[in-house]
Amino acid sequence: MANTTAKLHVVYGDGTLGLHGEGFQYIFSYERGGLESLKRNGKEWLYRVPKPTFWRATTDNDRGNHFSEKSAMWLGADLFSPCTHIEVAVNGQDITLPIAPENNRYSDHETAETVTLRFTYTTTTVPATTVVVSYTVDATGAIRVHTHFTGQAGLPELPALGLRFVMPTAAQQFSYRGLSGETYPDRMAGGQLGDYQVTGLPVTPYMVPQECGMHMATEHATVTRAITLNNADPDTEPFSLTFTQADQPFNFSCLPYTAEELENATHIEELPPLRRTVFTVFGAVRGVGGIDSWGADVEAKYHLPADRDYDFEFVIAGTQE
Amino acid sequence: MQADLKWLDDPQTFRVNQLPAHSDHHYYRTVAEMQAHQSSFVQSLDGTWQFAFAQTPQERPVGFEQPDADHQNFGEIQVPGHIELAGYGQLHYTNTLYPWEGKLYRRPAYALGDTTGMPGMFSEGPDNTVGAYLKTFTLNPELRDHRVVIQFDGVEEAMYLWLNGHFVGYAEDSFSQSEFDLTPYLQAGENLLAVEVFKRSTAAFLEDQDFFRFSGIFRSVRLVAQPTVHVNDLTIRANVLDDLTTGDFNVTLNLNADAAQSGAQVKTILHAGQQVLLNQTVPAQAELTIRHVPVPNVHLWDHHDPYLYQLQVEVLDASGQLLEVVPYDVGFRRVELKDKVMLLNGHRLILNGVNRHEWDAKRGRSVTLADMQYDLQVFKQHHINAVRTCHYPDQIAWYALCDRNGIYMMAENNLETHGTWQKMGAVEPSYNVPGSLPQWQGAVVDRARSNYQTFKNHPAILFWSLGNESYAGDDIAAMDQYYHDHDEGRLTHYEGVCRNRVYADRISDMESMMYDPPKAIRDYLDNDPQKPFVNCEYMHDMGNSLGGMNSYTDLIDQYPMYQGGFIWDYIDQALLVNDEVTGQLVLRYGGDFDDRHSDYEFSGDGLLFADRTPKPALQEVSYYYGKYDR
Repeated sequence: MANTTAKLHVVYGDGTLGLHGEGFQYIFSYERGGLESLKRNGKEWLYRVPKPTFWRATTDNDRGNHFSEKSAMWLGADLFSPCTHIEVAVNGQDITLPIAPENNRYSDHETAETVTLRFTYTTTTVPATTVVVSYTVDATGAIRVHTHFTGQAGLPELPALGLRFVMPTAAQQFSYRGLSGETYPDRMAGGQLGDYQVTGLPVTPYMVPQECGMHMATEHATVTRAITLNNADPDTEPFSLTFTQADQPFNFSCLPYTAEELENATHIEELPPLRRTVFTVFGAVRGVGGIDSWGADVEAKYHLPADRDYDFEFVIAGTQE
Repeated sequence: MQADLKWLDDPQTFRVNQLPAHSDHHYYRTVAEMQAHQSSFVQSLDGTWQFAFAQTPQERPVGFEQPDADHQNFGEIQVPGHIELAGYGQLHYTNTLYPWEGKLYRRPAYALGDTTGMPGMFSEGPDNTVGAYLKTFTLNPELRDHRVVIQFDGVEEAMYLWLNGHFVGYAEDSFSQSEFDLTPYLQAGENLLAVEVFKRSTAAFLEDQDFFRFSGIFRSVRLVAQPTVHVNDLTIRANVLDDLTTGDFNVTLNLNADAAQSGAQVKTILHAGQQVLLNQTVPAQAELTIRHVPVPNVHLWDHHDPYLYQLQVEVLDASGQLLEVVPYDVGFRRVELKDKVMLLNGHRLILNGVNRHEWDAKRGRSVTLADMQYDLQVFKQHHINAVRTCHYPDQIAWYALCDRNGIYMMAENNLETHGTWQKMGAVEPSYNVPGSLPQWQGAVVDRARSNYQTFKNHPAILFWSLGNESYAGDDIAAMDQYYHDHDEGRLTHYEGVCRNRVYADRISDMESMMYDPPKAIRDYLDNDPQKPFVNCEYMHDMGNSLGGMNSYTDLIDQYPMYQGGFIWDYIDQALLVNDEVTGQLVLRYGGDFDDRHSDYEFSGDGLLFADRTPKPALQEVSYYYGKYDR
């Protein structure tokens, strides 16, 4: 049972906004443009702020039908789209952005039922568009994450649309309830619903490293790590973080590499040593295709046109569930 | 007769002193041997051979076949295996462009109006590496005082053979068995076998498959002794009558020409366990035929129930002593075209197939029995019911395994001339071979003959495939004709006729396409189609692929003339080698060996990775093939 009397402690910092409760401490950075620290029971879960992701490492079919060439703009957007606007709401009410000196009006014992931070990212595409990532935190430490992509005519089709969490160390394993194996919108009929556990962070060993490891239609997923980068933390007991569906199942991959790292390798052995966990929740996934590998397009219903809006939502489970 | 290097240049010389192809039956001295699958007539020559490598024909060790030649510079090589994987020649992967692309200018002999025959093109080819093989053997006692032949199951791409310094013969066609009579040159005690293997000959134009370009003795070699009266060939016709419940068994045995003079008897038995359907003993003759043995309530062969009857032929000498016993599995099934739909045993055939190259990440195309058995488990587990032997005959053992496991085979010839008619994607057949060139017809019809004669008795084979991506002309039409002249019980397949529709009536019983999008298939099937439709290659599983398979399988429910197809393909072709930086075993592909021109990762299209671990897409195949596993 959630402790309904608990309050969310709010620290109105000069460069960040801190949200604390039993077993959690979150820090949102105005300068970094996102959630800078997600600490649970003393363990840090973020290496850098989560960012919207638009790229997938070119598949053989993408290369063959020139999709990556046509959508190359999204590679730059994946790497470079800045945070251009931030909004904060407390208990559902927007407040003036509480940066200095506005934050002088607060005290050392501020609380709230919920706090929402909305980060707007402007894509480095031509034309540009925006992605708004909203984090709503409650007293249980649960974070409801909503992502809104604003469609914009004139943009090439999206290779992917997701929110990417880079974790400081490599996971020992992850488990999920969803479909077996690696699935895509046009290749998921063979996936069987069940509870699965994946040891390590396997990269599907396609001859040329490429987009891989997608899990469609997932109800929840839990990442388990054992070590941190904290020099004062010698503990090696495994610890976990769970992502759950909001209203709809979500899609995710859990890999040791970003799309750009995969993109650069011609063989799996060229990939860097396994160091981080790249957990990405995808709101929209492009099909992989299969008619041929030298020109045939993915079937139209599995494309991601960029001239329409996309919304997706999931929850980072709190500490008291 | 002396060996002549000019044969390498002449498309009309493709076999010299080779024995005619015949059925692939085993034979044994005793019933006990038969039950143990161990024939004392056979002596394997697999293992370590002496070996010398030359970069060009001109640098080869001329005269090495002579017993008194100096062999001190010879190293060793394992047979079977590829020369390139033994460290002697450069590994090279290229798809359609010929391996000499950008290095040598070649046009096929007699193409483009040539009348010279292009002497020296291969016999003086600077890219024509040579492997000189030596093997010393002493006949096992069981083989002595018999006629002894030698069988090469696969040598790429042209070979000359000597025994004890005497020239024996010459063979091309890398993927068909080549057999020679050694008897005249055998001697007591040690014998010296010499094989000179050339990487290129005119056969190179016919073997432009999308694969690593290897050379060498890459399949097994053995000596086989023959008893004085011997079944050289058998042709089984296990038909099913119109009622689909009565079998009609026929068999023709070919024995040595002088069999009738031997006083020997031939006993022919067909049985299924305790049920004996035929037990007949007749005097031996050069040709013996048994016709129309009825098999009431015949137990039919198909994918789900690959039931096999047993044929047993015993040759007994004049005193009644067993000379040899020949077992053969017999499957009764009926393949037919009815109302433009292909039927098996009266039911519409649905092909849940794969194209399967022979591949082993460590051994290249020199696959092992364990590889084959593993592959059949994968087939079974994932509802794969059909295989196309792309694009050459496979190892002989694979066919009987498919009989026993109920795998429908599209048995393909060793033929692909892709680079002669398609350039940078465009159809440009200016120097296509075989085309309609008379000088090339003999070689390709011989490939059809070898494929038919060797494998004709396998119930698993439902279709003969003329080859892959070789355009169409009189020569391929002649191959089709060969199969129809010899085999009423199977259908022919060839996709390439779609590039030259003039031959549509003479080539292929089915409309075969590769990589047609589902809509194009619908268009064909909606517009008065004349032949049933098969995808000889579809769902190109390169890297992370195999999306949208339902758009094909939906057609099964919608069009009776849509009969499924063969996924491209079963296994990635990449080689497991040591990383030059870390020393770890890694999979490498085209271009990773400084090989140019290359098509790099294009050979990675399998449902399995090259090390035989499954790709994630396999579960999707399992789902859809399971849905139509009827």
